[in-house]
Amino acid sequence: MTRAGLVALVLAVSAACGGGGTDNVLTVAMMPKNKGNPYFASCRVGAEAAAKELNVRLLWDGPTETDPAKQNEVVDAWITRGVDVIAVSVENKEALSTVLRKARTRGIKVITWDADAEPDARDYFVNQATPRGIAETLAGHTARLLDGRGEFGVITASLTAANQNEWLRQLRAVLAERYPDLTLVDVRPSDDDRRRAFEETQTMLKVHPGVRVIMAIASPAVPGAAEAVKQSGRTDVRVTGLGLPGDAKPYLKDGVLDSAVLWNTEDLGFLTMYTAHALATGALKPGVTSLSAGRLGTRQVDGDQVILGTPFTFTKDNVDQFKF
Amino acid sequence: MSALTVERSLALCLAIEIAIFALLGSNFVTLQNAGEIIRASAETGLLALALTPIILTGGIDLSVGSLLALCAVVFGMTWADAGWPIPLAAGAAIAAGLAGGALNALLVARLQVPPLIVTLGTFSLFRGIAEGATAGVRNYSNFPDAFLFLGQGAVGFIPSQFVILLAAAVAIWLLVHRMTVGRTLSAIGFSIDGARHAGLPVARRLSLVYVLSGLAAAVAALLYVARLGQAKADAGTGFELTAITAVVLGGTSIFGGRGSVRGTLLGLATLAVLQNGLRLSDLPAELAGVVTAVLLVAALGASRAFERDT
Repeated sequence: MTRAGLVALVLAVSAACGGGGTDNVLTVAMMPKNKGNPYFASCRVGAEAAAKELNVRLLWDGPTETDPAKQNEVVDAWITRGVDVIAVSVENKEALSTVLRKARTRGIKVITWDADAEPDARDYFVNQATPRGIAETLAGHTARLLDGRGEFGVITASLTAANQNEWLRQLRAVLAERYPDLTLVDVRPSDDDRRRAFEETQTMLKVHPGVRVIMAIASPAVPGAAEAVKQSGRTDVRVTGLGLPGDAKPYLKDGVLDSAVLWNTEDLGFLTMYTAHALATGALKPGVTSLSAGRLGTRQVDGDQVILGTPFTFTKDNVDQFKF
Repeated sequence: MSALTVERSLALCLAIEIAIFALLGSNFVTLQNAGEIIRASAETGLLALALTPIILTGGIDLSVGSLLALCAVVFGMTWADAGWPIPLAAGAAIAAGLAGGALNALLVARLQVPPLIVTLGTFSLFRGIAEGATAGVRNYSNFPDAFLFLGQGAVGFIPSQFVILLAAAVAIWLLVHRMTVGRTLSAIGFSIDGARHAGLPVARRLSLVYVLSGLAAAVAALLYVARLGQAKADAGTGFELTAITAVVLGGTSIFGGRGSVRGTLLGLATLAVLQNGLRLSDLPAELAGVVTAVLLVAALGASRAFERDT
C-alpha cells in the first residue's frame, strides 16, 4: 500500500460523503436498548417515517452486544458531536442518567422513551402505556371472556416486581369500579421464566378448578401459561396477558390464547420523534398538556410524560403483521 | 519487515483514520473529543498494557474482563452492604484483583497448565462468582461525587483517568524495555525451555506478569465503576478481547518473544479513534468490526512476514 494510494482513498471517501453536516436540519439521535432486537427495529420504522415528515435528520445507534457501558459511550459521542435532541430507551438507569445529565448541561434536549431514566436526567419521557391503561385493557378482555362474571387467576413476573405490582394495584381498582362480579382468586409468580409460568399455571388450574381465565402479565409467562392450558385439555379456560406477538402467535392461532396486550411499537417510535421535534422547536414546554403528532392525532401530555395512549391488543387476526 | 515497520504502518493507519474523521466527523478534532477518547479507552487500555508482558511470554490472560467485574462487585458490596469507607472498599477490590491474578499465576507458573486453559477457566469462574454474589441483578450505585470524579471528572480537557493510564504506561514500558525482567520475558516467549535451561527465574517472572494483570483489572474496575456510576456483575463484558486486539494490533507477536508497549498504545489509539470517529461521522458503528478485522489481519500478516525473515 502506498502513501499516495491512501491519500487518494481519503480524498475519495471525503468527496463521496461531503464533509460534516453544518446545515440547519434538526438532528435527533435515538437509541434503542439493543439494535438487534426486532421490537426496537419496529420502533425505528415509526421513527423514520416521522423524521421524514418533519424533515429531521435521525441518527439511530445503540449497543449490538451486551456491554453495559456501550449506551454511555454512544451518548458521550453524541454530546461531542453536538446533536439537538437525544432520545434513549434506557437499559441501565443509574449508569445512563449521569451522562444524560451531562448532555442537558450542554444544552442538548433529552427524551427517554420505552424505559425511563431518573426524572431529573431528561426533559420528557414518552410513556408507551400507563399502568391504568394496561389494567383497564386486561380487565376488559377478561370481562369479555367471562361475560362479566367469574373467577380468574394472574401469573405475574416475581412477587416483588415493581411494574407488575403497580399493574395489579390498578387492576384491583378497575375491578372494584367496573367489574364487581369478576373475582381475582390467585396471583402466582413466574420469575420471568417460561417453564416456571407453565408449572404455576398447572398448579393454579388444580387448586382453583373454578378459574376460567388465566391472565399472564409478564411476557415469558404468556406462552408458558398458554402451553399449560393447552396441555391440560381444558377447553373452557382461556388465556390473556401482556406479551410479545412473536411468542403469542402460535397460541393465538390455536385459540388457547385469546389476546396479548402490548403497544404499537411503530407508533411509539413515531410519537418519540414528534416529541423530539416539538421539544426542540419549543412547542413542547412545561405546562403544555397535549401534543399534535401527525397521523396519531393529538396525544396527552401528563406533566413531564407524553402518553402513547391505550395499549394495543394482538389477536389471531392481526398478529401476522408484527415481526417481533 | 521489522517491528519498527509494524509500528510505523500502524501509526500511518492512525494518521489516515484521523484525517478521514477530521473531514467527515462533527467536532472530531477538538481537545474535548481527545479527552473523551482517552476516557472511553482507559479501562481497556490498562488491561492491554498489562496483557503486553503476558503475551510477550507467549501467554494469554482471558480472565481480565471477568476479574474486572468481580473487583467491581467486591468494591460495591464492601462499600454499600458492609458500609466500608471508599478507600477501604477500593483496597478490598485491589486485594480481590491481586488474589485473582495470583490464582492464574499459581496455575500457569507453578503447575504449568497452559495459560489459555487456565484463564479460560478463570474467565468463567470470576464472572460466575460476581454473578452468584449479586444474584446477577444487584446493582450498586449512588457512589459519592469525590469517587465519581475519578471516572467522570476532568481538569480542563484532561480526564482524570489520563494520569492513571499514563503512569501505567510508563511503568509497563520501564518493566518491558528498560529492565532485565523485560529481557527475561522475551526469552520465555521465544523458548520457555531455553529460558529454564539458561537458569532464568521463569516461574517467578510468569507469576509477576499474571499478578500484575490482576492488579490492572482491579484498577480498571475502579475506573469503570467511577465512569458509569454503577457496579454490576456484567461490568467489562468482552473487554479482554478488545485489550488483546490492541496488543496484537500493536505488533506484539501472539507467539511471544517480540512486542512493544508503544505498539500496544498505538493499537489502543487506533481502535478507540475508530469507534469514536465512526459515531461522530454518522457511520454505522458496526463498521468498526470490519475495519478492525482488516487491520488485524494486516498486522498479523506483517508479524508473520517478519518471523519468516528471521
